[in-house]
Formats: sequence, C-alpha cells, structure tokens
Amino acid sequence: MDEQGPVLETLTHRLAECPGEFLMPPRIGSEGTIHVDAVVADLIRYLGGSADKSLTAPFRASLNPDINANKAVSNWLSTVLVTCWLLHDSWFQTEARFSSLAYGFLSNGLQDIARIVASARFVNDQDRREELARLCLAQLGLRPSGESIAVAEDRLATLSSLGRHKVIQAARAAEARALAIREAMKKAAAEEAAAKYTRE
Amino acid sequence: MPLSENERYPLISQSGKKLLKALHEHPSAPLFNHHVGDRIDSSALKSIYAFQADVLTRTPRWAHDQYPEWVAPFVKYCEREVPFYRQRKQVLVSFADIPTTCRADFGQAPWLFVPDDQSIDDLIVYSTSGTTGHPVTILSLPIVSSMYVPLLRAALRTRGVEMMGGSGRVSIAQICCQKSTYTFAALSSVLGEAGNLKLNLNPSDWRMPDDRIRYFDAWAPEILTGDPISFQQLASLPCAHHPKALISTSMTLLPGLQIDLEKRFNCPILDLYSMNETGPIAVGLPGADSFYQLLQPRLFIEILTPSGDPCPVGVRGEITVTGGFNPLLPLLRYRTGDQATLVYPFDSTTPALASIEGRPVTLFRDTAGQVINNIDVTQLMRRFAIARFTLHQSTDGSLILRLSPHAIPENEIISALQSLFGADQRAVLGRIDTYEGKLIQYTSDIGLVPP
Repeated sequence: MDEQGPVLETLTHRLAECPGEFLMPPRIGSEGTIHVDAVVADLIRYLGGSADKSLTAPFRASLNPDINANKAVSNWLSTVLVTCWLLHDSWFQTEARFSSLAYGFLSNGLQDIARIVASARFVNDQDRREELARLCLAQLGLRPSGESIAVAEDRLATLSSLGRHKVIQAARAAEARALAIREAMKKAAAEEAAAKYTRE
Repeated sequence: MPLSENERYPLISQSGKKLLKALHEHPSAPLFNHHVGDRIDSSALKSIYAFQADVLTRTPRWAHDQYPEWVAPFVKYCEREVPFYRQRKQVLVSFADIPTTCRADFGQAPWLFVPDDQSIDDLIVYSTSGTTGHPVTILSLPIVSSMYVPLLRAALRTRGVEMMGGSGRVSIAQICCQKSTYTFAALSSVLGEAGNLKLNLNPSDWRMPDDRIRYFDAWAPEILTGDPISFQQLASLPCAHHPKALISTSMTLLPGLQIDLEKRFNCPILDLYSMNETGPIAVGLPGADSFYQLLQPRLFIEILTPSGDPCPVGVRGEITVTGGFNPLLPLLRYRTGDQATLVYPFDSTTPALASIEGRPVTLFRDTAGQVINNIDVTQLMRRFAIARFTLHQSTDGSLILRLSPHAIPENEIISALQSLFGADQRAVLGRIDTYEGKLIQYTSDIGLVPP
C-alpha cells in the first residue's frame, strides 16, 4: 500500500457497471459459457504482459463428480471474471506494470473470499464492491488515491469478509466450547469429585 | 454414578486396598456416607511431584511495585486462551490497566474461565459454601485437590513439621463438627497411599459416641485440618493421640483458642489462609507480629484500594491475586473480598501478608438454646437456588434472612430454617437489592463468642 493508485470511486463505479456476460456461468469441463482462461489471457496482455497456455491453465477447470466442489470452483472462476473486468480499467493499462501482480492475485488471491462471498455480490452490493476494489489495490501494492496508508488499511480491515468470517467462526467455536463445558458440568455434578484435604 | 475402585485410584496397590478396607471396617469406624478417591494416575502424579519440588524450593518473591517474571507471559496466555479475558477487548498498556475480577464473575458463567487449551474430560464441579457472600461453582480437575498436599507440606515446614505419608497409616484427617456433611475414608497417592479421612464429630455420625475417640486414636493421623469450632470440639474429647500439627482453615482462628489448642494437643496450630478459588495462599507464622508467609510461587498478590489502585506497603486494602494452580481457573487480578496489608518483614523481595481479616465466625442460638455454627446455615441454604443471602439474629432470638431475588415460596424457606433452629423459631424474610459488593453474611446481636 506504499503507493497511491486510482480513485476508489472509479473502481467501485466500474464494478457496479460490470456487464452481465461477466456473471454468466464460467466454463467448467463441457458446461458453462465463459472461457475464463481466455479472459485472463486477454487481461494480462492488456496490462502489458504475455500469457501463454500454461499460464492460464489454472483457469481451465474439469468437471468434478462432487456437485459442491463444482459450485465452489464456479464461484471462484466467476469472481476471477469480475476481477478481470475491474482490472481492465484504463488506469492499470496506462501504468503497464501490473500484469505479474494481477496474475498472482487472480490465480492465488481470490480462493478464500470466493468460498464465502457469491461473485454477484461484488457487483450488486456496495460494501463488497468497495472490498474487492480495495483488496485488488492492496494486492498490487496500492492504496486509493488521496488516502493515507493507515486509513486504507483500516477501511480494508473493516470491510473484510474474511475477517468477519473469522470473527463469526471464532464466536461459533466459543459458543460450542461453552456448551460442551456446560454439558460436562452437568455430567460431573452427578459424579464423584476427588477427595479434598481441607475445607475453605 | 459411582466410580469403580480403579477409577477412584488408578494407581492403587494391594497394600492400599488393604488400608482402605481397614479404614472402612474398623469396629469403631464412623457411618461413612461418601466414597471418593483422588483419581490420580501416573502422569498426574508426576505433575504433582514437579509442583511439589517448585513449592518446597522456591519462595514467592517480588519487590514492591514489581511483578514476578512469570506474570507477563501468564497475562498473555489468559488473553489468548481464556474466553472471559479475551472478550474484554481492552488495549492494555500495563498490568495495572487489567480490569479486576470478582466472585460474581464466576457465578455468572464459570465456563468462560476455562482456557481453550485445557481438556475437560476429567472435569470436577465444586459448589462452594458461600460463607463469604456469593456461593459459586468452581470448575476443577482431580490433580488440583492433590496439589494441596505440597502446599500443606510447605506450610508445615514453617514449624519444622514433616508429613511423612506412606502406606498403612493415616496422614491427614479433616475434622468437622456439623449437623451433616460428607464423610469418607480415602487414600492419597501423593502421600504414598496414606489414608486421608474426613470425620464429623457429631455423635449421630457414629455408632457409639466414644467411637470418635477410639477411631481417632487407633488411626492416629499425622496432621489434622479443620476449622476452629471443630478443633475445639475435638479438644473436649479425651483422645490420647497427639498429632504433629493442626491446620486451621475456613474461619478466623483467634489467638486465645490457638494457645489453648497448642497446650491441649502439644503441637503447633497453623492458621492457613486459603480459599476455593486459589487453594492455600499463606500460613500464619508464630510471633506477635502475625505475618503470613506466602506459599505459592506462582500466585502474585496485590493489595488494592476500592477504586483499584495499589496500596503502598503496609497500607490495608483488598487482597487481589493473579495466577494460581487450578488449570481451569486462571485468575487475573481476582479480588478475594478479604482485607490485609502486604509487608516485607524479611527482606525487600520477600513479601508477606499481615492483618488478614475475613470470614469471621458467627454463632447462632436455636430455640433450645443450643449453638448453631454458620456453616450449618450455609449447608441448609445450599438446597435453594438463591444467589446470595445474609442471616441476622436479634437479641430476642428472631432471625432476619435477607435473600437475593428468587422464586421460592416463603414458607419453604422458613420451614428449612425451623428444621435447623427449632419448630418455634421466628423468622422474617428480607431482600438483597444489589448483586455487587460484599455483604457480611452472618451477624448476630446475641453475642455468642466464637472459640
């Protein structure tokens, strides 16, 4: 986040106007419409890089017998497509130095968030648009134009679906632990204790 | 569900079994009403011996305005693993910024004090008597009960007394004098399978009143633990056995009785400052200054003002503790409700407590003129789901029982009091309005003088 990037509103506005084609089902095996590997390859070239077939291989998925696994891959690829649309902003093209970092973000930086946020929400939900825009900038070492590093970090943490997910998971774990102890207390209360040596 | 003998004593030997049988089947044995073991396996025993080595060789040390080196990592551990401390989400700059805790915190949700990294497979639940105001549930493990033994040993060493233990004998007898209480004969693995008895001197717990004397003399316990009232009752019996020491807990031991008991039993009478939340904290040293030597190397003690500021050395305030040896109850700045001063009588890094004041004995009178110990009232009230209560007896013998909000019919509570004090006992009920703040639980205008 050392460097200032584009104005945030430009990016969130761009996401809000994401064409419907980018949300069509991604191609997985013989199903779906959009060939995500081709879209990624176009983007990398647009950003000044070169993309051969081996580079875009991670975005060519095969059908899995497990329906849930297919759904998860589909949402990740769909999130990649929305992010490709975002990175097609002319600011990134003009800079012509982000192809490598953008590729890293697309191939390794979206799996976790795609597990908990449906791709369409990065287009339809104001907070998720801002989250994706900020996440993308942070992955490229940038922060929104006109913001300090502290503000940018704080805002990203506030919006973070992953952070919120962790908090919810921790709360659930704490609840489960408390319940387990309360159950153990009931059981222990009906059982023998251990011999004591004094009384207080 | 009763445990099997092997579950009660995972390490029991043939000689241990023989002793246990003899303790139960002695012709003068009391009508034991409870079976319980120490539930100590070899791994737990190893941990207790390690704890014992620490307790017997390391004196609790810190200079005024400083903290022992283990405190900072302990605080971090609590904030990471203990839900109650973790959820407070405060930015702590120094130890003094840590909010204090109190008994009411346990009362509301004891499970929030159990660290996430601790197993609850062997959980034990103790409901404390609540003689200090809030009856609470303490979560514990079998190992915690046995860790009292090293601390008792450390206390005894201040008078040059060694508890030897060993198979075939009784090392500790807990003496009670109550209308009713659990009594048992058990073995102590940490004392080499020596016996550990809990005896109630109430004659109704024995086949013959003189069995109390015969059983006591036959098993000749090395050490007695108990409260001043129980010791006074024992002293009135013509027992021949002289134990190595008596350890008084649970109530304030007044010096007059201490001297009388020392003469009667011809051994030191130790006043142990101990509570369920922490175990033994300090033991009174002989001499007019009444210093209490600290016993636990990993229990840090502060003396705080009501607003939470540390008191200067020698200034009276509330005893507040951090640390402890119960893995299921790590304490961070826990306000005990007891008052004392922290002093440095030996050197500048060895603190001691002085002028401890708490848990006064209160005696009531029943309608037949007999004395009732406040512990019996506590036991009586335990059956009711009431968070707090106080009992006052007026000069005419009538009782005022004040209770925190509850849904129990008034006649049930009055009947319970009459079962203890007599059918003609007059009693009125009142209400405790505030949950916070420590109450003086038992008071009396009658002026029966505790021993």
